[in-house]
Amino acid sequence: MSRYRIPGMGRVDPAAPVSFTFDGRSYQGLRGDTVASALLANGVHLMGRSFKYHRPRGVVTAGSEEPNALIGTSRGPGRFEPNTRATVQELRAGLTTESQNKWPSLKFDIGAVNDRAYMLFSAGFYYKTFMWPRSFWDKVYEPFIRAAAGLGKSPAEVDPDSYAHRNLHTDVLVVGGGAAGISAALTAAKSGARVVLVDENPEMGGSLLSDPSVRIDGRGSWAWLAEQLSQLRAAGVRLMTRTTAIGYYHQNFVGLVERVTDHLDQPPHGAPRERMWHVRAEQVVLAQGALEKPLVFDGNDRPGVMLAGAAQTYLNRYGVKVGDNAAVVTSHDSAWYAAFDLVDAGARVAAIADTRDSVRPDLVEAARKRGILVLTGHTATATEGRLRVKSVRVNPVRNGQVGAGRKIPCDALLICGGWTPSLHLFSHTKGSLTWDADSRTFLPDHKTEACQIAGAGRGLWGYGFVLEDGVKAGIAAAQALGRSADASDARVEGDRPGTGISQKELPTDRSPGKAKAFVDYQNDVTAKDIRLAVREGMRSIEHVKRYTTNGMATDQGKMSNINGLMIAADALGKEPPQVGLTTFRPPYTPTSFGAFAGYHKGATFEITRKTPIDPWAEAQGAVFEPVSLWRRAWYFPKAGEDMHAAVARECRATRASVGMFDASTLGKIEVAGPDAVEFMNRMYTNPWTKLQPGRCRYGLLLGEDGFIRDDGVIGRMSPDLFHVTTTTGGAARVLNMMEDYLQTEWPDLDVWLTSTTEQWATVAVNGPNARKVLEKLVEGLDLSDTNFPHMSVAECTVAGLPARLFRISFTGELGFEVNVPARHGLQLWKAIHEAGQQYDICPYGTETMHVLRAEKGYIIVGQDTDGTVTPQDAGLDWAIGKAKKDFVGKRSLSRPDIVAPNRKQLVGLLTEDGRKLEEGAQIVLDPSQSLPMTMAGHVTSSYDSVALGRPIAMAVVTGGLSRMGETVHIPMPDGTIRATITSTNFYDPAGERLKA
Amino acid sequence: MTTQRHDFDPTPFLVEELPWAPRFSLRVRPENRAALAGALGLELPTAVGQRSTAGGVEVLCLGPDEWTILAPDAAPLAAGSGAAYAQIPHSLVEISDREITLRLSGAQALTALTTGCPRDIDAMPVGQGARTLFDSATVILWRDDRQDFRMDVWRSFLPHVRALLDQVMVELKSGL
Repeated sequence: MSRYRIPGMGRVDPAAPVSFTFDGRSYQGLRGDTVASALLANGVHLMGRSFKYHRPRGVVTAGSEEPNALIGTSRGPGRFEPNTRATVQELRAGLTTESQNKWPSLKFDIGAVNDRAYMLFSAGFYYKTFMWPRSFWDKVYEPFIRAAAGLGKSPAEVDPDSYAHRNLHTDVLVVGGGAAGISAALTAAKSGARVVLVDENPEMGGSLLSDPSVRIDGRGSWAWLAEQLSQLRAAGVRLMTRTTAIGYYHQNFVGLVERVTDHLDQPPHGAPRERMWHVRAEQVVLAQGALEKPLVFDGNDRPGVMLAGAAQTYLNRYGVKVGDNAAVVTSHDSAWYAAFDLVDAGARVAAIADTRDSVRPDLVEAARKRGILVLTGHTATATEGRLRVKSVRVNPVRNGQVGAGRKIPCDALLICGGWTPSLHLFSHTKGSLTWDADSRTFLPDHKTEACQIAGAGRGLWGYGFVLEDGVKAGIAAAQALGRSADASDARVEGDRPGTGISQKELPTDRSPGKAKAFVDYQNDVTAKDIRLAVREGMRSIEHVKRYTTNGMATDQGKMSNINGLMIAADALGKEPPQVGLTTFRPPYTPTSFGAFAGYHKGATFEITRKTPIDPWAEAQGAVFEPVSLWRRAWYFPKAGEDMHAAVARECRATRASVGMFDASTLGKIEVAGPDAVEFMNRMYTNPWTKLQPGRCRYGLLLGEDGFIRDDGVIGRMSPDLFHVTTTTGGAARVLNMMEDYLQTEWPDLDVWLTSTTEQWATVAVNGPNARKVLEKLVEGLDLSDTNFPHMSVAECTVAGLPARLFRISFTGELGFEVNVPARHGLQLWKAIHEAGQQYDICPYGTETMHVLRAEKGYIIVGQDTDGTVTPQDAGLDWAIGKAKKDFVGKRSLSRPDIVAPNRKQLVGLLTEDGRKLEEGAQIVLDPSQSLPMTMAGHVTSSYDSVALGRPIAMAVVTGGLSRMGETVHIPMPDGTIRATITSTNFYDPAGERLKA
Repeated sequence: MTTQRHDFDPTPFLVEELPWAPRFSLRVRPENRAALAGALGLELPTAVGQRSTAGGVEVLCLGPDEWTILAPDAAPLAAGSGAAYAQIPHSLVEISDREITLRLSGAQALTALTTGCPRDIDAMPVGQGARTLFDSATVILWRDDRQDFRMDVWRSFLPHVRALLDQVMVELKSGL
């Protein structure tokens, strides 16, 4: 048994020792311990070095609010985690832990020189020190600040763990499994409601776990607790331990993170490390209790100085006494009970110094009976001890005068500055707070969500009150759900009621300017830093916070906010509510990225959509590129070919004979109904009324602002039915936009939209021999140019499959697109490939498609347009139905800035020296102008063209359409390139090949 | 305090891909619903989520003017639609190849669905259905029995959904 472990106490298992290491040394704890309780059982208080001053620090709390005992933990290769709270990490066999922010060792740390130079590191240090000279920023200041920023080492390896996700709906979610939460959950459950009770600890019970002497309904509190938990289980309540409610969002949406395996010696295969729960609750009961505050005085951060409530928890829950000879400094009754428990367990408590002049007589009597020296009306002014507290200096305060100090030797100093209701989740909802002048604390006030707040979380103290309040909250939640719940009351004996006062920093007889009286342990903010911030002009608590970094560490000021506010308010001569409280934001405690990512890592990081033809492309060794969520075959390299060679071959083959292309990703929308043509007229710029069934047309879609949103070929299948195609990336967006207009602007139209993108697989066949290939496969349709001219569509049979066949071209060659039901897509592809062998048919990818269309000047929405390009800018005026009364975007097209002559317009560019331009390169009209130059546009598309034997480019240039033949300049790092403005229709401008 | 759990479950749920079947999206104004139902010989439920089954044809109401229809024999439906169109304007679009249907069944089928679906599936009555999400894929969920579901997933989203369900299977087998 470890030196500080008390046999027979605590909820740990004395028969189950667990070995672990801390800074390379082996220790033994017990099953049920946290790293902190196990180290304390071995007499280790020194657990880390502070962030700024590298001061030796020990554990302060026994919970998730711990600011000091942040350690590195490793659960095996790739499983290192920095800043694990030693008070939360449960002991598991083989756990390796290390202290942080120290070199060369925890006990002797060079960085502690900062502590001596503390005058240099006062509030606003960064703002004052890193100002001048300006040239020092990049090379000196920023690297320094970055090196100093953050605590602990970032993990360098890929996280091998898995993380999970769940959605959960419930009638009542109770956050906090203490006395209030348990009684609320049970009351609500008895009404028949679905109830979930969550608690961040390994077991339910909250402070009851630290108060075994209290008796409820004639039983010890632990027996009562066990009985309540079995009743909860019997009532069907879902009990979730090790589960932190990290955020409370709109409409009772609460995020929970469940720690699933970190406490297990050997997690079962496949078990996730953590699981994020998205809970939607009809009613939320917040029963999170209260957090104990430290007292602020010189030396309040030495190892061995800890919250009284934490010492009580280590004693009762873990059977660990935090010292042999403790002293207590408090301003709240609760610390007295902690002292009593310690003495009753066999430790010595030298003295209780209370800042209050008068304390409840029964407490004083109980203390004297236990041989504890009682010092009311006292302050603490110093502590001694380098790596562990050795003594505390306390002084009487009479009429504001601090009297002579006396030194009280101790090996543990328990402090308590009162309790702050845990308002974090309530604040996430933007619920308003009210200042309670009596208890000098903020309490929840106006609620914005359907929630109840119970227990210490709204300032109540004592189990009797809290249990009653929990029942009330349970009844209120049940009633809000339209259910009726019965009241019940619990009889509490040996209750521990209490009151206290809130303090600013404690008065001292020494120089307050030299006091290292810490307000925020984690960020090393002292009381004098806060006063300095106020002296230097900070008035709002938000400014004080940012200037001093008080409350900005990962504990989000759970312990420091109220103390900081008290001091700032005092310095400003105002009441605390006039200075305000900073906003709490999610997450409640630090949360792993893994919990947020859930299943979205590795192969399931993001959806990868694949076409039915994708497996064939993969088998052929195609190189793929992502296009929105799709992966598309980019090019099909043959042995020894690089991308340039493959694309050149694909282009050549298609223009010379025939190529085939998987166009299945194109968006497709079936527009059907008697008003289909009217709808099309209103949505697209083009006129549709006279388009005959069996014919198709290029359609251009604008936004209300007149800018190009999407385009695609649209076939009229019958008078009332259009087969609309959209860009690959625009499919969902276009359907949404159409539905939006239909439902909000034109609900009178009898027309319906159905996405058929995935109903059809589409194969494009292009090239002079395209018809010859398809003629072998098509039945029921004469493919001749007379019968089936360019821009025709028909239903027929292709390769024995029912098909919609389009004669269209995105290459400038004779072209067809065959649509068949998607399950036949691969079969169609193979049939065309087979039929095309005679003509050396060449499968090509998206890169060749891009080159071929650029040779014709066909735009790609999103590449040659950027959301600010009008039809006129893109040279697409011809696609506008001039006679149409209206269409989406029409009125914007006559706005003065839209018709202005100097707009950027899409043109072709041919370089004089035959170099290929870079996409995105900026264009200037005068290369000799002074810097910064006036940019006249940029290159949108640029390719090597096999057909033209030279590179070609498309670009948007100011007034470009009226600059044909002019020279522009493209400044590049290695010199300026000259280029001539041309038409974008580089190849076969007369379009003869289409009509073949 | 327990540290290890040994409730390993070898088959928390089953996933099967159902064979191709004719499937249609039907749209009609609510005021014409009854007339069209009569003309097509279908029962078109009026409440979103409700289903009907008659003569081997299953119908699920997805919106006030939208139904998904599973019809083993598509020809009579298409013929009926063509005949009724002039009097009762509507849209009947075949989507047989757009979606692929998974069947999920078994003790933890519902749990598996809650990993990706934000809806309150527990509260969905047996015999109903809904359009919802699984992860970021739009799906149609049919509850055929307490532990028996069908999920229609757009074809190209299916591998992602399957991969997620595979991970969930491993997770649920662990018993944690």
